[in-house]
Amino acid sequence: MENFVLLISGFQTVFDPINLAACLLGAILGLIVGAMPGIGSLAGCALLLPLTYKFNPNTAIIMLGALYYSNMYGGAFSAILLNVPGDSPAVMTAVDGYPMATRRGRPGQALFTANLASFIGGTIGMLILTFTGPALARVGLHFGPSEMAALLLVAMTSVGWLVGENPTKGIIVTLIGILIASIGMDTLTGSPRFNFGSLYLMGGIPFIPFVIGSVGFAQVIKIMASRKEAAVGQAFKTKLTIRGSLLTKAEILRLVPPAIRSGFLGCFVGVLPGAGATTGAFLGYAAQKAFKNKEPLGSGAVEGIAACESANNAAAAGAFAPLLALGIPGSGTGAVLLGGLMMWGLSPGPLLFTKSPDFAWGLISSLFLANIITLAIAVAIIPFLIKILSVPIKLMVPLITVVCFVGSYTSSNSMYGVVVMLASGILGYILDRNKYPIAPMLLAFVLEPLLEFNMRKAFIASQGSVSIFFTRPISLTLMVIFFLLILFPVLKAALRKARAYTSPK
Amino acid sequence: MRKRVFVFIAAAVIAAGPLFASGQQGASGAASGKPYEPSRNIEWVCTSGPGGGSDIFTRMITDIAGKEGISRANFLVVNKSDGGGEVGRAQVSQAAGPLADHTLITFNSGDLMPMLQNTSRRVKDFKIIAVMALDKQLLYVGKTSKYQSFQQVIDAIKAGKTVVVGGSKGDDVATFNLMLKECGWTEAQMPYITHNSSNEAITAILGDHIDIVVSKPAASAPYVEAGQLKPILALSNERYTGNLAAAPLLGEFKPYKNVEFPTWRGVAAPAAMSGEAQAYWSTVMEKVSKTDAWRTGYLDKFKLVGAFMPSQEATAYETKFEKDFMAAQGIK
Repeated sequence: MENFVLLISGFQTVFDPINLAACLLGAILGLIVGAMPGIGSLAGCALLLPLTYKFNPNTAIIMLGALYYSNMYGGAFSAILLNVPGDSPAVMTAVDGYPMATRRGRPGQALFTANLASFIGGTIGMLILTFTGPALARVGLHFGPSEMAALLLVAMTSVGWLVGENPTKGIIVTLIGILIASIGMDTLTGSPRFNFGSLYLMGGIPFIPFVIGSVGFAQVIKIMASRKEAAVGQAFKTKLTIRGSLLTKAEILRLVPPAIRSGFLGCFVGVLPGAGATTGAFLGYAAQKAFKNKEPLGSGAVEGIAACESANNAAAAGAFAPLLALGIPGSGTGAVLLGGLMMWGLSPGPLLFTKSPDFAWGLISSLFLANIITLAIAVAIIPFLIKILSVPIKLMVPLITVVCFVGSYTSSNSMYGVVVMLASGILGYILDRNKYPIAPMLLAFVLEPLLEFNMRKAFIASQGSVSIFFTRPISLTLMVIFFLLILFPVLKAALRKARAYTSPK
Repeated sequence: MRKRVFVFIAAAVIAAGPLFASGQQGASGAASGKPYEPSRNIEWVCTSGPGGGSDIFTRMITDIAGKEGISRANFLVVNKSDGGGEVGRAQVSQAAGPLADHTLITFNSGDLMPMLQNTSRRVKDFKIIAVMALDKQLLYVGKTSKYQSFQQVIDAIKAGKTVVVGGSKGDDVATFNLMLKECGWTEAQMPYITHNSSNEAITAILGDHIDIVVSKPAASAPYVEAGQLKPILALSNERYTGNLAAAPLLGEFKPYKNVEFPTWRGVAAPAAMSGEAQAYWSTVMEKVSKTDAWRTGYLDKFKLVGAFMPSQEATAYETKFEKDFMAAQGIK
């Protein structure tokens, strides 16, 4: 109840005309930044941060908080319409969003699904943040290296659900993802790995150009290679309205359960140190595979879009819990905001809620407001966004190419990003042509560095003993889940065999 | 007639040639004699990501230099973190022509150490502009940590127990190694877990995943104030003041001696920067270091030690640091 009163007082701060304008501006900028591939919330907040130094801290954080949050909405736009994820958490959105928009010819519904799921996930995340934020942040502290490694092992098993019809091909692309992720500086010892003397490779393969290339640019090559696929631009000559983009009642009923489930899961992942919205989206999508879906995931299913969009928005809200309650950034963007807190003259850390309640609750309230503002804007602009798809293919190809080049350059401020994008585009095209799934490679690429880092830290702490994974309650529980997931198909087959053997008797 | 005109013009041109040449020489001589003033945007490279310690340091200087009217230059801060910052450092060290006089880089001990370990680039490949501030480390424990004083840590090691330490990269590791060497302990007795940042290491100790954390005062200050971290040892030659005053020095635990590994924050420029430009920027940094905004808004807030060194002194200081570090690491 006390938190509810504080939240209301936070709304008083937000409804100050200047703060309200800052929230609106942040939400609009976040949508734009999110929709532009390569920029993302991290760069968006970093670019805007120096401009806010002269602001009142409340106004500044309200604007940046709204930008960060609404960015999660914007990232889905280009993922759904162009198959180029605007931001890393939107990678999984493209898996179902793009087929729904193009193959099924329902771009309006795909965008509406993403917006509504984002709203549901975000609201769940914010409610959890409001009522259990500090407590949840303390729960997050119990996740040390061994717990994180066990959780990531569980997450890695979701590769099994993403591999598609051919497990061998799935395993091969997973290994490619792991191999590419291991290029760069060893985070524990600081020594370079697989860089072949190149200064650029020493910093590793940047994720955004890698994704833009392997998903977006690979598609450009594919269209150019098979010219007959010019149909993409032909389907949407008819004028689409907001009403024409709405989902049916049955589809909303399909959307809500995965959005709620992913909302809780995503928020929890967001709270964990270093996990972030991208991991949240991957886990949300992978978890959805375990549930019954009306249409197969990957073919343009409502459930697929809802699961990952809800998870990444909830994770974005959840990441504020350790930042506000403990001064610990849960993501790269959180680290930028932490730098901002110091520049605005505030002390981030455990005393922030006590010393600057206006600031902390103002921020939380602004997230609620940004969620509503962004949903309204995002739904209102659907008819305009869809117009992108009526662009003829001869213009669409150069357009996507430019987006890929600009996005990959912007992400690292250098041509290195463009080179990575081109190389991964070729890799993505070769894999796609030979029917290798891309999603397991991206999942492995995201999770491998986290898994390796945490596993090695756990082994240093235990001096090489595996007992650390089995002597702590959380890691033991997660390891049991991990082994059950791995052994489930084997046990199921053995059980079936045993039944078949006993039934004739 | 036409021939005469031609000869006249030719003679005039030939005669005017040396005059023109000398005029040009005079002009360029005057230009080089003139004190340097930036004539275009200054690209200031920061080799770590936005929002971190180096980024705040950079933006603080550019902000003060502009606000206080110390320099009229327009600063463009560019974060180039490719290759762990090595790409940005390589580009700056090799910048030539007019660009050399209009490029600066944030250059800290935390940048120099990996550069020495991973590349053949050295301090001599840059023009050092200034050292602006020094920083030191302390050891902390959490409220619920196993050990609550450094004496308990010594006793635990003597009893054959393992004490797990966590901290950030670069200078935190170097300071820890110095302490380990002084105490005569091994990495098996006191393993060190490298984290991506001090914040990450503090998260680990708050969750009791490590026994001790190494951190600079800036990152740990809010936790010390909230009573969640307790300083148990200052790796310094003098005790700290304020809420860190209770932290004893290593020398207070006989027979050990104090250890100190002062880490520095500074500014450098391309090797091709002219002497005039180097002097100009060194003066700008000196003026920044003398402002109230720098003292209260940066040094006091982030608990750093103000230690301005102009270019010559800073070059000697960083070269010695490089020599000592390379000798300690066995780098040739």
